[in-house]
Amino acid sequence: MLNIVVCIKQVPMVTELPWDEKTGTLRRDLAAGMMNPACKHAVEAALQLKEKYGAAVIVLTMGPPAAEEVLREALAMGADRSILICDRMLAGSDTYATSFILAEAVKKEVPGCDLILCGAYTSDSETAQVGPQLAEELNMPAAAYAEHLDISGRTLRVRRLVDHFRETLEMEFPALVTVSMEQYEPRYASFAGLNRAFTGTDIAVLNAAALGITAAHLESRGSRTRVRRVFIRKTQKENVRITGAAANAAGEFLDRYQRTISAVIGKSIEAKKQT
Amino acid sequence: MQFNPCMKHKLIRNSARHFAETELAPIAAEIDQQRRFPREIIAKMKALNYFGLQVPKEYGGAAMDSISAAIVVEEISRVCAAVGLCVTVHNGVAIYPFLQFADAGQKEAYLPQLASGNVIGAFSLTEANAGSDAGSVETTAVKKGSDYFLNGTKIFVTNGGVCDVALIFALTSSPDNKLQSSVFIVESQFPGFLRGELEDLCGMRANPVSSLFFEDCPVPEANLLGKLGDGMKIGLSTLDNGRIGVAAQALGIAQGAMEAAVKYAKERQQFKKPIASQQTIQNYIADMATEIMAARLLLYRACELKDAGAPFGCEASMAKLYCSTIASKVTSLAVQIHGGYGYSKEYDVERYFRDAKVTEIYEGTSEIQRMVIARAILSQPIL
Repeated sequence: MLNIVVCIKQVPMVTELPWDEKTGTLRRDLAAGMMNPACKHAVEAALQLKEKYGAAVIVLTMGPPAAEEVLREALAMGADRSILICDRMLAGSDTYATSFILAEAVKKEVPGCDLILCGAYTSDSETAQVGPQLAEELNMPAAAYAEHLDISGRTLRVRRLVDHFRETLEMEFPALVTVSMEQYEPRYASFAGLNRAFTGTDIAVLNAAALGITAAHLESRGSRTRVRRVFIRKTQKENVRITGAAANAAGEFLDRYQRTISAVIGKSIEAKKQT
Repeated sequence: MQFNPCMKHKLIRNSARHFAETELAPIAAEIDQQRRFPREIIAKMKALNYFGLQVPKEYGGAAMDSISAAIVVEEISRVCAAVGLCVTVHNGVAIYPFLQFADAGQKEAYLPQLASGNVIGAFSLTEANAGSDAGSVETTAVKKGSDYFLNGTKIFVTNGGVCDVALIFALTSSPDNKLQSSVFIVESQFPGFLRGELEDLCGMRANPVSSLFFEDCPVPEANLLGKLGDGMKIGLSTLDNGRIGVAAQALGIAQGAMEAAVKYAKERQQFKKPIASQQTIQNYIADMATEIMAARLLLYRACELKDAGAPFGCEASMAKLYCSTIASKVTSLAVQIHGGYGYSKEYDVERYFRDAKVTEIYEGTSEIQRMVIARAILSQPIL
């Protein structure tokens, strides 16, 4: 039977959250958490593979104790096991550190892992980096933005939408795929499933020590990025009034805006003015 | 004492809310206007255990606690009270008596089908001359051979137009020839089971509320629920439970109306600023939010007592009385905040306003709730 690990993340439920100006991070405390939408599609993909080919689905997340909620939700949808990596020492990890920590957890907790699925990107930071970086850490082939998965023997076939065409890739297990939100519309968890997720299953909670990660590791493999500054882009509208005779006004309008207009439409309008 | 929702209750709320907003919100106004029972959505709800909220696992239910079940009804009603009504009546007064009073054979025969939602349940006590006075039922059940033959008319039956099984209260004779009420499990396929036209009601219009007629309808002896003459006992116990459901429904309507009013108050500009900046509107919103919070705590307390196996009738009546009273008040204020638009079908608050009123009437009127509460308080010893 296949072992499928799905890496999921808890994100804030609202689209725009205030920033903490000092630390440059989101004020997550102001919003309720939810499972990142693309991660939910990845869970759905894993469950459909499980239904079609037979598999054990293990969901994995790193976060504060409250992140248990998204694991329970994945269990309610039909996942079999869940792992929470939770340690203050790991808080604030960037994608480089996160993929290292997730890799250590997969090696230790699911040694026979055949397939790792991730959401293609998260709704809070949208780097889309953790999936591919995790594949690098584990030395696995990876494909990003998958919309459909098929398995034949030990071969995984991945269909994905790239710009304006679809391509199908094949790779051997073990492999990592990030799932887009094109297909795999997540199922609703049933109430029996939700009840089972709270009564039938325990969540394995691991700290850094349990994964063999020490302060020395974090020195070399910790976050390499620092957020220098965060700002909200301000846009403003300006009312400009051009008066006078029509021909003069049109001329003045073009003098002011022909460069902007040319840039927007992608070709120069300067010649028009001269005629 | 625990006043904050646990993780399970949060997830159940999110889950029901997500479903209601995705599936019911786009059609709620339309099914209200067309008086259409949305079978396509009901089919999806069946698979997710909406019709077996508290049925034990061995019968295919979700085996939820009472606060969870109330949260589900609340969230569905927040978006579409008529479908919330279908769910709460099916679970709260059609299934509950099976769990409490049915024998093993009856449970085996009916619970799995009811829990899956393949069979929709109804509860029929009300008649033309028997409303608040539940003892005045005139429908009769006369035993001939091994069957009881039912004759009579039930009115305002929630789910009446679509139910497959209905619990019918009818008069039976005791061995010493006294009339007493009993409850029968009646299938819609039994001969002599007839449905009336759907009622054209003020609110809850997507629920197929109808009359049911019984003309020499034969019901096997095995379909007597509880013992002969247990009607009043079953009725009162079931209504206690049903009141928790209607309270949850009223609370959901109030919540939906308040959210709509808050959103509108922030958007609507008069005197060159949002009306939410006017103190009068702020007072309305403060009252709405406070009353909704108080109603919710009262409701969950009744649920907790029920799950602890303690008597909960008085608390269920308090929750039902208060939740329905504030639902009417909050929906009325929500219309007021919307001004003329709130009186138009263009905005959801018009529907919430119509839907809220009946929560003060069915499952025991507010007057009956006060009677139940006063009776409980007055019967306590003076310390």
